[in-house]
Amino acid sequence: MGEIIVVTSGKGGVGKTTSTANIGTGLATLGHKVALIDTDIGLRNLDVVLGLENRIVFDIVDVVNGSCRLRQALIRDKRLEGLHLLPAAQTKDKTAVNPDQMRELCAELKKEFDYVIIDCPAGIEQGFRNAIAGAEKAVVVTTPEVSAVRDADRIIGLLEAADLREPKLIINRIRPKMVRQGEMMSIEDIIDILAVDLLGIIPEDEMIVITTNRGEAVVLDQNSRSGQAYRNIVRRILGEDVPIINLDEEDGFFKKLKRIIGIK
Amino acid sequence: MANSYIISGFGQGSQADLEDLLDENTILVQRTLRSGQSIHYNGNVVVLGDINPGAEIAATGNIIVMGALRGVVHAGAGGDENAVVMAFHLQPTQLRIANHITRPPDNEAVDPNHPEMARIKDGVVTIESFQTGGERQGKVT
Repeated sequence: MGEIIVVTSGKGGVGKTTSTANIGTGLATLGHKVALIDTDIGLRNLDVVLGLENRIVFDIVDVVNGSCRLRQALIRDKRLEGLHLLPAAQTKDKTAVNPDQMRELCAELKKEFDYVIIDCPAGIEQGFRNAIAGAEKAVVVTTPEVSAVRDADRIIGLLEAADLREPKLIINRIRPKMVRQGEMMSIEDIIDILAVDLLGIIPEDEMIVITTNRGEAVVLDQNSRSGQAYRNIVRRILGEDVPIINLDEEDGFFKKLKRIIGIK
Repeated sequence: MANSYIISGFGQGSQADLEDLLDENTILVQRTLRSGQSIHYNGNVVVLGDINPGAEIAATGNIIVMGALRGVVHAGAGGDENAVVMAFHLQPTQLRIANHITRPPDNEAVDPNHPEMARIKDGVVTIESFQTGGERQGKVT
């Protein structure tokens, strides 16, 4: 029996889809059977980020309508044996699926997969209600911006109302330099407002853009900081105790050297 | 309105053959199809515009795109293996003819800048340069 996790945020563009793809890929590289569900019907992206768009024949709407079997709609990842995607429909809208159908679908997938990760659409309307319907745990993604944190707070309230207690937080796109200069909200500031457990922090990283555009996952890139951050998140999901990376110490060789010889 | 066309200059006897070729069941789509937009039609579809990624056309007949085809198309959706897909810039996410489903290979980025046509040849979906006249008919070579 697997675990069903929804990745949500309220605000758009904070990294739900990127996080879903990377956490799923990360879990699959460690040998777990993972199913990713894209619930953003009408604005699907997860298939593109994973580079699986051209393999889609059936989608989630076909499954809930009974036009095809669940097995037919699941797309196996091109690299990882254990990673599967249930894509959203692009030519329908959120009303094509209802929360009861989602619950049924999740229960079905749970039997076969170790982890079922649901990529939630932005907003708090039907798409959100569908996405959280079958979930057992929640991960909230935010960025160090007042608007994103405000929306995350609203989402955490809605999750609690739906009995999804103790969601975990990912803070994405942190720029250590700006935080140091007091121009960006710090991790402490955000935790202070949201009062939830931190699952991980992801530094702003060009590699995210590069890998996403290529349809690859940054978590597979051993050299990038964001890849390392996602690998840590994956280990924490698996129950390991991994310390949060200290962004100050990872500012590159020259910064470190300067600090050592005492320039700053 | 069934006979509101004139065919002439083909000589005696060919009139009937040519009428067989006529098909009034064709729609002309004078716009670009964007992501999320789709057309399902019982007949042929001609598009004066592009088919963007995420857009979809399914037709029981042929599909002709006078522009870039980057989305998903399904020609011969009723099972017609003679259906063809033609585009000025054929770069589909996925291309289906009858019950055949194909997608471009993962690591080869081919981007020819001329019209191409896809059809089923010996049971396999084949893409070739679109050539007019005798060459297309197989009379040359």
